[in-house]
Amino acid sequence: MAEPEPVASMAKRNQANDRAAKEAVGGHNHQVNSVQRRERWWGTFRRRFPNWSEPDSPSTNPSFRQQQDGDATASDTYVDSAVRYTPYAIPRYHRRGTFHKQDQTPVNMQREQKLLERSMEGCRLNGTSGSWFKITIPFGIKYDEKWLLNLIQSQCSVPFTPFEFHYEKMQAHFFVDNASIAFALKNVSGNIWDQDNERISIFVSPSDAPRSVHKELKSEKVQQIKPTMKKRDDSQEALDIQRLSSEADFMGHDEMAANPSKYMATSLGVHEENVTKVESAGEMDKKKGLEPQQMRAGGNALCTTFPDKSSNINSILELFPKLSCLDGQESPRPTLGGTEAHKKLPTCKGSVFGSETLKNLVLQFLQQYYLIYDYGDRRDLLGAYHVMARFSLTILFNPEDPASSILCKYFKESRNLKMLKDPYLRVRLLKHTKRDIVDSLSVLPKTQHDLSSFLVDVWFQTEMMLGLSVSGVFKEVEGKSHGCVRAFTRIFITVPTGNSGLCIINDKLFVRDAGPQGTWNTLPIPMVTPYSSSMPALSQEQQKMVQAFSAQFGMNLEWSQKCLRDNQWDYIRATQVLFLPKMTSGNSGQCEHFTVTKSGGLVGAEK
Amino acid sequence: MATSMDFKTYVDQACRAAEEFVNIYYETMDKRRRALTRLYLEKATLIWNGNVVTGLEALTNFFEMLPSSEFQVNMVDCQPVHEQATQSQTTVLVVTSGTVKFDGNKQHYFNQSFLLTAQSTPNNTVWKIASDCFRFQDWATS
Repeated sequence: MAEPEPVASMAKRNQANDRAAKEAVGGHNHQVNSVQRRERWWGTFRRRFPNWSEPDSPSTNPSFRQQQDGDATASDTYVDSAVRYTPYAIPRYHRRGTFHKQDQTPVNMQREQKLLERSMEGCRLNGTSGSWFKITIPFGIKYDEKWLLNLIQSQCSVPFTPFEFHYEKMQAHFFVDNASIAFALKNVSGNIWDQDNERISIFVSPSDAPRSVHKELKSEKVQQIKPTMKKRDDSQEALDIQRLSSEADFMGHDEMAANPSKYMATSLGVHEENVTKVESAGEMDKKKGLEPQQMRAGGNALCTTFPDKSSNINSILELFPKLSCLDGQESPRPTLGGTEAHKKLPTCKGSVFGSETLKNLVLQFLQQYYLIYDYGDRRDLLGAYHVMARFSLTILFNPEDPASSILCKYFKESRNLKMLKDPYLRVRLLKHTKRDIVDSLSVLPKTQHDLSSFLVDVWFQTEMMLGLSVSGVFKEVEGKSHGCVRAFTRIFITVPTGNSGLCIINDKLFVRDAGPQGTWNTLPIPMVTPYSSSMPALSQEQQKMVQAFSAQFGMNLEWSQKCLRDNQWDYIRATQVLFLPKMTSGNSGQCEHFTVTKSGGLVGAEK
Repeated sequence: MATSMDFKTYVDQACRAAEEFVNIYYETMDKRRRALTRLYLEKATLIWNGNVVTGLEALTNFFEMLPSSEFQVNMVDCQPVHEQATQSQTTVLVVTSGTVKFDGNKQHYFNQSFLLTAQSTPNNTVWKIASDCFRFQDWATS
């Protein structure tokens, strides 16, 4: 009994189409709202990259895209081997361009409900009855609690009682105590819209009872973690963190919730012992299966806090990206002398930086670059390029896909030696002065990059040169292609500037249409402590400056605070950093901007 | 300072090197895997989906361990790298993209970038890989 699309949502869809048409002509308030939302993205991004002033931030940034794959066959992180259930994957109907729920056949619905119920069996705790589920609304922070709950209830087939509604970072959460309610709520996902006609998604995951309901556990429970590990045999199966964390005696201790970092460290410490045992001699990665940076950190790799215990699953997966490899490959087993049948691909890992210093430098650079690229005037990037820099762009798209015809703005500039044989054009499409480059960049469509999707590889480093690649997704935010998600890879080769900054000498951009699998609005995964909570309190005057800065530039408070702080609360200087002057200095090849101070702050040009 | 004529020659040279190199590289990778490390400098580094492999010995082991491959390259681009970065050693950035099927695995889109450096002998110029960065791109559809 596939439900017919309710009239309300059809009306909404028509509204959305109308709106899109209006924007093509010349949008209205949408711009303001989208800027506000964009600023929240920056806030999230900012939290996702570690705070450089803390010495022990986690040193890897595994790509979150490994959890973004909405295709159930590719995302293989759940326990049940019979049917794939991916609570953290983006539901199919959330993908761009899909307007109906394709797979809610009766069989699927029953199966999913059974899965939800079964998944709770592992989470039942001593003394608690009933199955709890955590309901998460990404970007829920935008919505008023009452409004949101009413809206959800209006589309939900069963009445529900939300427990412990709260906001955390960008998300809104609450708990329900019943699998069929959870299931009904899951079906609401994508069927409700906010005032901006954006779909609201609802994610449902098994959970322990919320703190207020759950009784206090004694500290002995924590010791159960170790025996759980030992129960496992020395097989790769033991490293399935998803399975591990859904087991009753591993998760769901109140003390863990109260002191998450302490217990995460403990459990990771335990885990590392076992990982070392399991790792085979044939392991290609000499660092015994853990990220090189994590090993250097001396075992206690995790120094972030996890305020919410059910986010532990995602967080753990992040720290062990090889365990949630894109196509579910196993870690390499020892090869006995390599017949083809035994050869396995090495598991895919997250970003590679080479060192903490480089990581800070590169992330600062990317942050600053994309801030201007997305929100500023791209001509302001002039100061970031060497006078004799080179830039070229290539796009690849499926000519049959109607949406990709919109890539034509890129197409004019696209340089692909496989297709392009004209030597004159080959030269012309390689931009080679910084003036030409920023002019080219300025005519490319306006974008919003998803910094949380960034995967960075620093593949070359000498005193004179740094080579790095960034991959990720971005969204077009204007005109007909508004909302289209693109996948990109960008290669920067930089030389150092006098003020320990980076100056771009080669820039290669590659764009592809990400299509329905390219995800946007991915579930933001809490990873680091909020920036603001680790900073000393601001004085009255400083607070006023932050408010003013935020209001002036439409920027969120966290970012505003950082900009001001990094410029020693010199308001003027902070604004100059944001909007780099268009004039270049007299020196050929010298970049004056994008400087990074020793403390990791950003400083504007010195005259 | 290069005149535009010099620049054109400069670019032509880089493009020719890139195209030749790409053909050789993927042919060797697919059909003569054991010979692949000859294309790398002694101290070259490969970052393969986040796995760091440095030096010829490690590279040899790595390519030995990798299942047999079938590459299809759809995009090639290159840029000469300014000598300020390379201390006058002629260097070209080569970027490729396409699909690859490793034996026993599903097909993947990939992006790869090479830093090639020219090693001149009296007879000719040999381009060798100083750095190689390879990534699957599974969120792409084209």
